[in-house]
Amino acid sequence: MSKDRVCVGAVAGAFGVRGEVRLKSFCADPGALGDYGPLSSEDGKQSWDVKITRPVKTGFAARLSGVTTKEGADALRGIRLYAPRDALPALPDDEFYHADLIGLEVLDTGGALLGKVKAVLETGANDILELHVPGQRETVLLPFTRAVVPTVDLGAGRIIADPPAGLFSDDGDPDDEGDRRQGRKAGAKGAPQD
Amino acid sequence: MSRSVWKGPFVDSYVLKKAEKTKESGRNEVIKIWSRRSTILPQFVGLTFGVYNGQKHIPVNVTEDMIGQKFGEYSPTRTYYGHAADKKSKRK
Repeated sequence: MSKDRVCVGAVAGAFGVRGEVRLKSFCADPGALGDYGPLSSEDGKQSWDVKITRPVKTGFAARLSGVTTKEGADALRGIRLYAPRDALPALPDDEFYHADLIGLEVLDTGGALLGKVKAVLETGANDILELHVPGQRETVLLPFTRAVVPTVDLGAGRIIADPPAGLFSDDGDPDDEGDRRQGRKAGAKGAPQD
Repeated sequence: MSRSVWKGPFVDSYVLKKAEKTKESGRNEVIKIWSRRSTILPQFVGLTFGVYNGQKHIPVNVTEDMIGQKFGEYSPTRTYYGHAADKKSKRK
């Protein structure tokens, strides 16, 4: 995946018979699709100015520059639309675009490679970096907090992490199996009250 | 109908024990739990729990505004990757 462009949407087909297209937006704010200037195709050979005309049932109706007929709009069906990375607004400290984080190498504080960022997941609490660990089939989840991820160096393309114990090595707490069973049974009680 | 106040919040006993043990030891570790139904208590703030989602343990760093919720609310059981596009994350 190229880092200088990000995929922000796709053409789902023609909308109506007057050359409008139906767009799917992948943006956090779907309506922002038209804010990133001209969007290009995956190979970068074609580029269009996008003007969103109205929201429709499964996305947005839009006009692409140079597309005036239904046939022309139909021909673009399935094309993914890419915006230049520079078109995305700058973010404050401690905020990062997922597109920038994905693919970064994660090193521990000693400089040893822990893995590569595969995805960024949102859980409602802290966000989570899903890491692809070399030589391991299962991915590892790393909380994206200042304590666990003290340094994100986008320029150098790496993240320094200080993972808590038990995250990478399954140290197999002997109590765990019993805890799992107890959780299933009615081994519960109310919290102590003051 | 909501839970009676006199009972106090519900917590699986092993979660309490594990949290106390980890707090006493002062170690920075993920507390693996399977109990999604347990309530998050004030004494859990600052600890990191690995909450099981049926497949793996999702690390959840407990903060003050999570008190009173259940652990399961912070451990999604379905994963949707989607496109990164212009989505952003804040380091908390």
